[in-house]
Amino acid sequence: MTDLLFLAFAAVTIGAAILAIEARDLVYGAAALGIAFLGVAGLFFLLDAAYVGWFQIAVYIGAVVVLILFTVMLVGPRMGEAPLGLKRVSLLAAILVSLLLGMTGALANATAFPGQDSCGSGCDLYLLSTSLLKNYGVQLEFVSLVMAAAVIGALALSKTDRGQ
Amino acid sequence: MLGPLQPLVDMVTSPLFLMIALFPGLTSIAIIGALLGWLERKVTARVQLRIGPLYASPAGGILQMFADLIKLSFKELFVPENSDAFFFIMAPTTGLVIGAALVGLIPFAPGLQIANIEVGLPAFLAIITLSPSLVLLAGWSANSKFPFIGGLRALFQQTAYEIPLWLSALGVIMMAGTLNLAQIVAAQSTGWFIIPQALGAFIFLVTSVAEMERLPFDLPEAESEIMMGWQAEYPGVLFLAAQGPGFVKLYAFSALFTTIYLGGFLGPSLLPPLFWMLSKTLVVIVLIMLLRSTFPRVRLDQLLRAGWTTLLTLAIVNIGITYLLVVGLPTF
Amino acid sequence: MEPLSSFFAVSVILLGIGIYGLMTKRNAIRILFSVELIYNAANLNIIAFARLRNPPIATGQVLVLFTIALAAMEAAVGLSIIILVSRLNAEIDLSKLSKLKG
Repeated sequence: MTDLLFLAFAAVTIGAAILAIEARDLVYGAAALGIAFLGVAGLFFLLDAAYVGWFQIAVYIGAVVVLILFTVMLVGPRMGEAPLGLKRVSLLAAILVSLLLGMTGALANATAFPGQDSCGSGCDLYLLSTSLLKNYGVQLEFVSLVMAAAVIGALALSKTDRGQ
Repeated sequence: MLGPLQPLVDMVTSPLFLMIALFPGLTSIAIIGALLGWLERKVTARVQLRIGPLYASPAGGILQMFADLIKLSFKELFVPENSDAFFFIMAPTTGLVIGAALVGLIPFAPGLQIANIEVGLPAFLAIITLSPSLVLLAGWSANSKFPFIGGLRALFQQTAYEIPLWLSALGVIMMAGTLNLAQIVAAQSTGWFIIPQALGAFIFLVTSVAEMERLPFDLPEAESEIMMGWQAEYPGVLFLAAQGPGFVKLYAFSALFTTIYLGGFLGPSLLPPLFWMLSKTLVVIVLIMLLRSTFPRVRLDQLLRAGWTTLLTLAIVNIGITYLLVVGLPTF
Repeated sequence: MEPLSSFFAVSVILLGIGIYGLMTKRNAIRILFSVELIYNAANLNIIAFARLRNPPIATGQVLVLFTIALAAMEAAVGLSIIILVSRLNAEIDLSKLSKLKG
């Protein structure tokens, strides 16, 4: 059953990612990106990271996709991608992608990952929350400061526009 | 006896499948959604000293919504010509799916919960965050000014009120010590959370009314101003797809409020727990419906200012109070 | 339970798609899509490999929580820059916006 679920989530994620890059209309691309995020969240659930999966749904699909949709609708309808005259760049890209896929095939070997692949009984929400607050509390505060700086920065960017 | 069909029969008669199909699953959500539509018309009618739907059946017009459904099925179903047909149809339909998923997380009785997951409360709130983008897509896809403005207003409103919603639920999590909805209900056996969390419950109620876009926060579908807002272009049965998620979300939010503040299915054992759960949910639903007849519509800038400043500050104050209650009191 | 190498394979394929989009597309928003895909590939990789420790530790999931939040912030700031640039220059084709002007 988990095999079927894994195949379904993986296929949805990869298909939606390709659609997000290749769709001519940016709104369809943003919606496909949201579906890709949902697929990644499903893969998180399969890996016993339930809280991180819901966090991904709430932040990525609930906020980033909304931001992207809003920006696309504000910036207005642009023409689709002009036909590429950059043959060299796409050749480079194709080589890179095939290198990556080859690396995947070579490493997708059971002996490449030593160690027991199981989460055991301690890998649950209690472990995540205690280590987040006890071991990484300082980092958590730093991340919130960075987030505050980002919010202030975005507000400042939009303010200078209206000042003109 | 049935041979190859046996696994299928086992699956169909398993308790999980029956829960998903009948109660508290899809069939009951559909019927309760329709009944809530009737209830809203009756409650607002009585407040306005009218009678409301009366003729559709011998029992006070209770079949009115089903009559409306039959009428809407016969109307012409068209998609506006310049609109984006895919999102026009898929956005409200996905809203219905989201509403059904919300109801699936709530414990209606010990054991009568479709999805008893360890992180139930953040899951519910995370699914809510999916709805602003759907409303924006629905408003944009109609390719007309009124629906687009309504969609943008709905986006602003729902995004602004997500943060006070999460923060007021955080007070409950601090008091219960768990994210699991069934365990939050069990933690209220010594006292419902609405008493120590009175401020949090108030904030939760106000923000969930704003998330559902009901009066007094229904600017995105303001009937007298922008012609039903983002729902303006939806014909026939799709109109139900646009209106339906509102009622399903009302049901889901009221059930969640009952679960985390009013003790869920707990009650004196002379009546079954399901009865307590449904009656408390009904009280909350009628309260929210009475808000519609009581308050005037809030203007958009007042609405956004209230969400981003006033309610956010109150929610943080609530977290402070809860911290004192949870940590401070036992040390005295 | 699916072997970890298949999660690694999905992560690498997502990375490949993201890098392909980053290199061959010129619309600024589409480049942002590719960057977000690369973030997701990295997060998936971290969560998959975080299962290998025994006794388990939660560092992988904590790190992914941080990166999800930071990536969202970066997307927000990037999108506001894109809106500003489109207001000033009326287009967001990154191959034409090569002068630091405006």
